[in-house]
Amino acid sequence: MSAPASAAPRIAPGYRIPSLGYRILVAALRLIPAFFLLIALPIAVLEFASSKGIALPISTAAVAVGGLALLALGAARYIAKPTRAYGPLSVAASLAGLVYLLYAISRSPYHLVIPGGSASVIAGYSLFLELMLIAPIFGIAAGILTTIEDARSPTERLPFDFPA
Amino acid sequence: MNEQVLPVATSDVPTYHHPPAIYRLAQLFRGLSVVVVVLLVVYAGTVVYSAYEVARSSPQSHGLSASFAPNDTVEIGGSFTLSNPGFYPIQSFALTARITNASGVFLGRLHVGPTVIAPSATDNFPVALYLPVSSVSAAESLLTQDQYLDVSAWGNATYAYLFPLSVTLTETRSWGAPFEGFAVKVGTPGGGGGMVTLPVTVTFTNDASFSEQGTLAITVVSSADVTCGSTSFPIDVPPGNLYDQTETLSLSSGCSPAGGQVVTTYTSGGTTLVLPPEAIP
Repeated sequence: MSAPASAAPRIAPGYRIPSLGYRILVAALRLIPAFFLLIALPIAVLEFASSKGIALPISTAAVAVGGLALLALGAARYIAKPTRAYGPLSVAASLAGLVYLLYAISRSPYHLVIPGGSASVIAGYSLFLELMLIAPIFGIAAGILTTIEDARSPTERLPFDFPA
Repeated sequence: MNEQVLPVATSDVPTYHHPPAIYRLAQLFRGLSVVVVVLLVVYAGTVVYSAYEVARSSPQSHGLSASFAPNDTVEIGGSFTLSNPGFYPIQSFALTARITNASGVFLGRLHVGPTVIAPSATDNFPVALYLPVSSVSAAESLLTQDQYLDVSAWGNATYAYLFPLSVTLTETRSWGAPFEGFAVKVGTPGGGGGMVTLPVTVTFTNDASFSEQGTLAITVVSSADVTCGSTSFPIDVPPGNLYDQTETLSLSSGCSPAGGQVVTTYTSGGTTLVLPPEAIP
């Protein structure tokens, strides 16, 4: 029986962690599109519907609170990427997304009475949101794995997350 | 934020070209999460665009018409087309309408579907609603009395596989009776030379949306249910027109119409309608 071929050298060049200020700056820049997507756009649509006398499926306050929570956790997660807090923050951010989606699912179906009262529309969207739940569930799984990895070997992922 | 960078942050520590399995698995989950979000956001965007296009192409009705039909009914028939210019099918599309009069008496119902309207397709749906106009039915007033009817319609569909939709519509529609205010007045018997005649005046307004072209037959029946005399004549009453005509019937000798009744029937295209009888004083 021949001996197994020796493994190729697995030495990586190392890593370089961006400074805290740089990470805060990038996190702040990432907030801009996220703010429009998670808060500004949904609230604008809801306000437009409300101005037309259409009952809202979800309150603007809920959208604002949920959106702010997701933005804050997302930014904190990015800033904390080189630290051991990254895994738990990933879990928390995904968990917040999960709760937000579950809240939206609980509001389905949407019952809309056309102003005047002669017509009504019931629209279900829970199936779509249930599919959307896959994303935070995967996010939670990834966060748990990162937490375990950081607990076992604190520097193991740094060369791959922050290659030199 | 409390900066707790992982203990080693220098580049001179040996590390690995190939990430460990746990890291790869975590990255796989992150990647899948992003892919799912991107796919669903793109999907939602195209659904919104498609739904907007469907809403813009509102249903078109074609050739809706009304006419007398067999079995003492009025048929309201025609068709409507529904376009689906979007990217996704309209599945399980079904539409039901229920008609009642102001008293809540059920008059008729029409149903379409369930069917699938494919993307970028336009489907045509024939509809036929039969309303009873028999003088002996619970809805006899449809024949002789203008009124408002309650229409309740509801439709169901599933759009783009994931979005079930249900629409309910209630409205009041006016009904124009084809023999609105139908009345028969019997005049004073006359005649001479052993022959008795009876003038009978028929009045009504055609408030229906269709012309009445047919034959009106008037029969005078005695109180003993014996036919004293009858006549028939053609009529042609366009929509919205008043009909007011007096016909003179010859009565059988010895047959007294007093206490009897006048029975009027309308025949058109093989369909015969019995109008409400009028008692003779």
